[in-house]
Amino acid sequence: MNGALLDAALACGSSVIVVGTAKNVGKTVTFNALRDAAEARDLRYALTSIGRDGEPADALDGREKPRIRVPRGSVVALPEELVPRSPALEILELGERSALGRIVFARARLATTCEIGGPPSARAVRATIDRLRAFCDGPVFVDGAIDRIAPLAGGDDAIVVATGGASGATVERVADVAADVVARLRTAAYDPARDGAAPLRLPAALDALTAEALLAEPPQTVVVGDPTRIAVRGRLFARLAQHVALRCERALRVVACTTSPDGPGGGLDPVALVRAVAHATGLPAFDVLAGVRA
Amino acid sequence: MIADAFTAERIGAAWLRAALAPYSDFGRRIDDAANAAGLPDAVRARERCATILRLAAALDADGAARVRAALRTVPDPLPIVSRARAGDPLGDVDFYELGRFADALDAVARAWTQAGGAPDDLPASPPIAALLAPGRSGGTGFYLDDAFDPVLADARETMAEADARVEREHARLAVEVADELGFMPAGEEFVIVREQHAGPLPHGVRVVRETPAYRLCALERDIPALLAETERDGERRMLAAEEERVRRELADGIARERDAIVAATVRLGELDCALARVALVHRFGGCIPTFDDGIFALEDATFAPLAEALATEGRTYTPLSIEVRPTAVLTGPNMGGKSAALALCGFIALCVAAGVPPPARSVTLPLLRRVVWIGGGDADRVRLLSAFATEVVRARDALADDARPALILVDEYARTTGPREGRALLVALVEALARRPHTVALIATHFEHVAEVAGVQHLWVTGAARAALDGIVAGDLHDALAALAGAMDYRIIPAGPEAASGSDAIALARILGLPAPLIARASDAYES
Repeated sequence: MNGALLDAALACGSSVIVVGTAKNVGKTVTFNALRDAAEARDLRYALTSIGRDGEPADALDGREKPRIRVPRGSVVALPEELVPRSPALEILELGERSALGRIVFARARLATTCEIGGPPSARAVRATIDRLRAFCDGPVFVDGAIDRIAPLAGGDDAIVVATGGASGATVERVADVAADVVARLRTAAYDPARDGAAPLRLPAALDALTAEALLAEPPQTVVVGDPTRIAVRGRLFARLAQHVALRCERALRVVACTTSPDGPGGGLDPVALVRAVAHATGLPAFDVLAGVRA
Repeated sequence: MIADAFTAERIGAAWLRAALAPYSDFGRRIDDAANAAGLPDAVRARERCATILRLAAALDADGAARVRAALRTVPDPLPIVSRARAGDPLGDVDFYELGRFADALDAVARAWTQAGGAPDDLPASPPIAALLAPGRSGGTGFYLDDAFDPVLADARETMAEADARVEREHARLAVEVADELGFMPAGEEFVIVREQHAGPLPHGVRVVRETPAYRLCALERDIPALLAETERDGERRMLAAEEERVRRELADGIARERDAIVAATVRLGELDCALARVALVHRFGGCIPTFDDGIFALEDATFAPLAEALATEGRTYTPLSIEVRPTAVLTGPNMGGKSAALALCGFIALCVAAGVPPPARSVTLPLLRRVVWIGGGDADRVRLLSAFATEVVRARDALADDARPALILVDEYARTTGPREGRALLVALVEALARRPHTVALIATHFEHVAEVAGVQHLWVTGAARAALDGIVAGDLHDALAALAGAMDYRIIPAGPEAASGSDAIALARILGLPAPLIARASDAYES
């Protein structure tokens, strides 16, 4: 099952970024599932994070979080202060600065577990992914964050969207939230032949005020730089998408969703959730723990 | 060298500071120390210039630039060395950085040799590379390799064996519960989906965490498994302790080389600062100054900021010679370079103070401590002073401080008041400057007979022959300026009876494009 998720991701790019629709929707579980699948195939891989991950408990809500295992031979990018002292890592290079020190590129000579974290800026995240590709022949896995999607822009990564009970109390609500996120991230690339030769190009982010102005006098086609520049959500986004052909200069590759039925209000039906998310997003969906896909 | 902001702006101090800015932290430390130490004495100033000229002669310009570029990439090892010296534990990233320092030193040395530099000028390489060599077999990275100490290899092997024993124990326990679970649990923790296994868990499986949909489980370890894990944890601690011991020994070795590392960084800093000066010499030339209290003499000197600005416009700077003993009035036509000559004198004084061989064929000057520029400025809006008031206040302040040897540059003083009183004020100022001890003063003005009345040296900018000016066609400003520069004789000579009078102001205004009727009326008014 996890192998199918890995196949879907690697068919579209050598780096895979996992983003979540909310906190505690199984993003790191998805990240670990991809790594497990790579290990099962004896693939050497590289790891980094857009936020700070792998700590025993969530820094915000104190919930226990999965640790990040770093198997022998894999490469990791992590801040200097998070480099484990034992077993020693092979230090390959230093990168950008982060709040926890410079980003260290290191290879595990022996298996270990650690926290990982990434650089602060989108540009630095992109540079880090590029360096990891240089250090590792295998895939690069990036534990992302829903509130920091800017690093998705400008890359050719495969994007996996993790969603779950933490983003909605019902199967339908979770599926709607996932569909909204996926619809934004999958904004199609501008094609003059299809979309007309004179679109309205937005140099800045598409925010709520801009969206309202566009809806007042809708142009035929609006082009943003990339989907991360779309800052409108929910019904406003849906209305905009209904009235305007929303396009981007550089499209992203959203390849799959994962689901986690657990939420603060209790558990959702795993099978129903996978099916609803797959239906709402038009993407293959996986529950990597339950071994269910749709 | 003391120069207030107004003076500094006039004499190109910011330009010089930018040109001399070190590339490395080491260079910045040397710069800071030099600034704190104050100005050099004559012997030291000459030595510094001689050293720079020797390096400039030995190094080719491109090669010197490559050495500077290599210096830019040298990481600063001193924070790490200081921590090692204090007994703080170092990490593998620290050793990696020290390795980079050793590599960067090698790169500087290679660039230096290729540029034609003498080996004696290079810092001695501290033996960091040898200390770190076992950890750098993979190239430029660092790993706390077994080669540092055979005990590391033993500890890692023992830990691997202990890991394998734990794996075997876990595999045994997994087999024992697999039938009841319906699958073979893998890893230290595994998930059981409630929908798929709603009943009680088999004996030997415990719940670590549960959610409405899942149970995160682990195998209940029996005595043999717990013993294997305890043993493995012990081996992990042993390995961690051995790794820390090897790091500590390595850090001790680094700490022992502290003085050699510090010496290398100091030399790198000196090299960085010296190469900034060498770059200036390569661009503008330089000489060793001679120190003499009563004279300020430049031969074929270049005001580098102006030369650079002209070059970007495709125009050429004419080097100037001037001799001031020790107070002189400089007159001559507009646009003849009087203000540029003043700025040149200040710039040369700055160069000497900064250890830069002054860009000239020869330079003789007193050991100056201060440069002051008076006049030629705008109103001081902060202090609510008019242009006239501003320069009078500056003159007052300059005369009040007569303790330090100073170069005082006066540009068109009192030009904003009535010419009769203005000239009288200037004569008085020139006389006061001439009486002031330890002072070289150069005063540019259009007022006539100031030098003669004040009894000081009179210098004159040769300027352009009237026929040459009349031959220039007024038109495009850029072309007019270029033609004017071609016609102008910027030489500064002692003014004799044959020196031309007047400022060529009307002729120049015509060349600069003032309408012909205005020029004609001005000529009439002047003649009448």
